[in-house]
Amino acid sequence: MFGSALNHESLSDSAVRWATFESEAMPHVGSLFRLAVWLTRDRAEAEDLLQETLMEALGSFHRFAQGTNCRAWLVSILYHMQGKRRRTAARLQLVSDAEERIAETTAFEPSTPQNVTDEEVLEALERLPRAFQEVVILADIEEMSYKEIASALEVPVGTVMSRISRGRKLLRAELASYANAHGFGRSTPHQISQKEPLRKP
Amino acid sequence: MQCREFREIVDSYLSNELIVETNHRVISHLEHCAECRRELKARRELRGRLRAAFLQSPENQLRPEFADGLRTQLHDCSLSKRGVSPLVSSRGWRSYVKRRPIIWIALAACLLLIIGAGLVLVRQRMVQPKADEIAVNKERPAESPELNPAISVSIVKTELARSAVGDHRDCAIRFRLAEKPIDLVAAGQKYDPVYVNLTNAVLSQQGAAPLGAQFVEAHSCVYQGRRFAHIVLKYHGHLVSFLVTDIEPTKRVQSESDPQVITCSEFDGYKVSCFETAHHAVFVVSDLTEGDNLALARALAPSVFAHIIRSENNA
Repeated sequence: MFGSALNHESLSDSAVRWATFESEAMPHVGSLFRLAVWLTRDRAEAEDLLQETLMEALGSFHRFAQGTNCRAWLVSILYHMQGKRRRTAARLQLVSDAEERIAETTAFEPSTPQNVTDEEVLEALERLPRAFQEVVILADIEEMSYKEIASALEVPVGTVMSRISRGRKLLRAELASYANAHGFGRSTPHQISQKEPLRKP
Repeated sequence: MQCREFREIVDSYLSNELIVETNHRVISHLEHCAECRRELKARRELRGRLRAAFLQSPENQLRPEFADGLRTQLHDCSLSKRGVSPLVSSRGWRSYVKRRPIIWIALAACLLLIIGAGLVLVRQRMVQPKADEIAVNKERPAESPELNPAISVSIVKTELARSAVGDHRDCAIRFRLAEKPIDLVAAGQKYDPVYVNLTNAVLSQQGAAPLGAQFVEAHSCVYQGRRFAHIVLKYHGHLVSFLVTDIEPTKRVQSESDPQVITCSEFDGYKVSCFETAHHAVFVVSDLTEGDNLALARALAPSVFAHIIRSENNA
């Protein structure tokens, strides 16, 4: 973003910085692209978003704290850039009352269906409210920690925890409903309570 | 642990987010509960299938030629003497704009709004000075307002300190400014000669900032219409903004012969230390402790104060 500081760098400084950037940030390009596709729902836009994100990251790389999670840092920039492009970052982070109610009113704990295909799993994911898809993708596919997700989405960790739990539950419910409709899978419900579990602070 | 409790925390267990003790209790429960083992296995399989399906989806695969081109572009930008200018040279931005003519409409609307707001401001300025004078005269018993400007100074400092905090937050911390920062020397030539060589006044001849603070970058940026010279330092692992901005002619005060560095404000958890010259206000903003922030400001003050005074006198 800021070119002025770089103007004073020697070529060797730039080369070292590029080498560090290449080893720290570039391995996450594939992961960022998948998220960009999911965010934009358009491959061409995803490529633009990825490019802007990496340019921004390169320009701000001196602010990245070595030894911390580079992918989480890049994901937060990706979200920020998407917010700038669309001015909808806040909208994406908000879960409508209706969506919260849907998640809350899935009162039973659906069993995890088996014998479903990859396509069926992805279709079930697509049917979830977007805010729940988002945390399930970041946690279960990109394997980010609750803290990293909270930082990237700028929401409290508690919100991430509840959305992951509800997102997974909704996903199982979608798949269970599909399995029941097609005559396979288990369907024994298990009641759950809302007691606060002992998670990492 | 009962099955019911296991089901309450199984999501956090799957995400490896439980504390060690709870983790052990889960493992212990799983050792003798076949039903929960089955459920955990099924959830793990579903998670694995979801991950594999998503990662392998053709839609989500990056084109190798695009990846290569992007890498080359980043590499060239990184080594270029021009530095990184992401949006100006980005094909992505141009194509984005091209595909969305509404952006041009929005720009035109913004321009009209700015012109409208400017006209309103000009009109207000034509009327308001008299009202200001009345208010200031009520507050100042002294014959010459310039000799006792304490009240207006504090108001100015408060207003400017709020802007300084906003700039620190949006530029140094979140880099979310609407307008792209520009080179400090170029800004000095165009807007304010004080900006020229300001970096040298902050850094010693060895290129280091006082108290072991590290130099991060220097530029000029605009926050809500106010232009700052902005030098970003890192001190005790915290980003610190050193900001210089000019004081409007109507609000200027007599300058002291030495910088009087004080802790002037705290907004949104950021500490602000400040001092001023006849025409400029200088702020040090950070989330350091008040003492550390003030100490750094005091260490920076002498050379910066001298530089600004020199520049103001030359002007």
